[in-house]
Amino acid sequence: MTGAAVVVERLEKTLGKNQVLRGISFSAQPGEIFGLLGPNGAGKTTTLRIICTLLTPDSGRVEVLGFDPRTAPQEVRRRVGVVTAEIGVYPRLSARENITYFAQLTGVPDGDLKRRVDAVIDRLDVGSFADQRAESLSSGQKQKLAIARAIVHDPQVLMFDEPTSNLDVLASREVREFMVESKARGKCVIFSTHVMHDAERLCDRITILHEGRVVASGPTAEVRGDRRELEDAFLELVGEVPSPSPGLPPKGGG
Amino acid sequence: MRTVWIVYRKEITEILRDRRTLMAIGLAALATPIVLSVISQVATKTATQQYTIGYSGSIPTGLDELLRATSLKLVPVADPAAAATRQVDIGVAFKSGEIDEFYDPSRQSAQIADTRLRTVLGQYSAAQAAAALQERGIDPGILTPVRIVAHPLTSPIQAASNAFLSFFLPYILITMILTGGFSAALDSSAGERERRTLESLLLTPAPRSRILLGKIGAVTTISLVAAVAAIGSMFVALSQLSLPKESGIGHITLSPVAVPVMVWVAILIAASFSSVTLALGTLAKTFRQGQAYVTPLYFITIFPASIILFIPDFNPSLAYYLIPILNAVLVLRDAIVHNAVEWPTLAVTSISLIATGALAWYAALRLFTREALLTRS
Repeated sequence: MTGAAVVVERLEKTLGKNQVLRGISFSAQPGEIFGLLGPNGAGKTTTLRIICTLLTPDSGRVEVLGFDPRTAPQEVRRRVGVVTAEIGVYPRLSARENITYFAQLTGVPDGDLKRRVDAVIDRLDVGSFADQRAESLSSGQKQKLAIARAIVHDPQVLMFDEPTSNLDVLASREVREFMVESKARGKCVIFSTHVMHDAERLCDRITILHEGRVVASGPTAEVRGDRRELEDAFLELVGEVPSPSPGLPPKGGG
Repeated sequence: MRTVWIVYRKEITEILRDRRTLMAIGLAALATPIVLSVISQVATKTATQQYTIGYSGSIPTGLDELLRATSLKLVPVADPAAAATRQVDIGVAFKSGEIDEFYDPSRQSAQIADTRLRTVLGQYSAAQAAAALQERGIDPGILTPVRIVAHPLTSPIQAASNAFLSFFLPYILITMILTGGFSAALDSSAGERERRTLESLLLTPAPRSRILLGKIGAVTTISLVAAVAAIGSMFVALSQLSLPKESGIGHITLSPVAVPVMVWVAILIAASFSSVTLALGTLAKTFRQGQAYVTPLYFITIFPASIILFIPDFNPSLAYYLIPILNAVLVLRDAIVHNAVEWPTLAVTSISLIATGALAWYAALRLFTREALLTRS
């Protein structure tokens, strides 16, 4: 698809004896929040890990801003930032040191390092705890730190894998606001979640995965159809409740 | 190199803020003087220990003086055989022209007293015989038709010191390198998985081979710091402790040849061990699991050092120098005891240790790039 930041085509992946992905396809554009939805075990995290070069697909094609993760993993990593639910930070380094370390590893030039780190600290309001050791931070502060670390090299593609699952209401809200702000800056934001309420509010388009397959894809409103909430459509699609009426959008329409 | 330096600096910062590693280095510096102090006390006690001889009958003239001078205390008893079982270390019955000795060979004190008694009696008999010959106008020299004139090529006390060092120094060096880097290596490998920073690290465009080199460099540095702390404190302790003359260990110094060999071998062992422990740590999901994988390495280090202790004159062929750790111990022994470096053995040792480190680094790199590292639950 022309202009797409991320293209995924017929992706298949088996982990151990479990076929996690069974030919999924979608694409995500710059300046949109693209939702990757599905119950636990649907294949969301595996898909994101393939996009960001951590895993290699068995078959299918992935392209990130024109780069193939298999042949140009370094180029992809320079252009992608990932935030996950498992907030791993170096506990004995301060928040600032954590961010600086990742800025250096992602190739931020020494001359620009301080300015970039300070800018990210300001943008995410990390200043009040920037010089505290990460081991003393709250979950919300750690998640802010994880986001700061993921965006310090100014990636064009941002991937959020269940970023709010371990956060309280306030911290979750700040993460959501950040996603919206990134979209406004023209970033391609891929948001993986099983929280339908968040997806409905934030995502321009969504793809719903179930057992490694795409069961619905398209603009969020279109997938929801005439149901009261996206959650109702989701439950019908994953087979938890019977479909009351035909008319759900076709697969792979993203 | 920039990536290696970035990772190295970060790892060093984290390690220096880790209480576990600082405690390991502190213990390394403290443990050696404590062990040496115990050795010193035991050696002093053994050398000055007084043993008791229970005797009956008349002591030959002058013998009592000689016995007392050798820390053998004489105590009159009614039955020397009975007394030797418990009351005294050995029992002696002085008879005319004969001495009956009673001792229990299963008691170490009895063995030592027996040796001392025989030495004193030998000297006493020789002196008596010499006096008798002189009285008759005969040269006592006929008792020793072949005289031995010793010309030791090195100081016997220095030789004893070197023998002590040839066991103790490699042992301290190797165990402290492993102990000092143990916690840092696991924190740097298994710790990345345990605190869930591994995924973020692997998402950076930094080449994984260089990330590993930075980590190995940091662990090597900490291992060497621990070894230097231990060896430094060992020499400080040796200069302060008074070891008895009888122990044979005098003032201990390292020869000019041994110092550069020790530094070179220490760097090789530290780098090699760091690679091995990092590879093992990468296999582990948690610090605790990593400990279980790495602990057996201790036995591997103790074994070669023990060979030197039990077979001091072990003179192996060049092929033995291919065995990591054993080769380091042998090269250090040669440098300390013989005050010489055999270049072929040093070359083979260096190649062996570098190859071990490189293989372990490659194994760690393969593990570091395995998908299972992230997907294995």
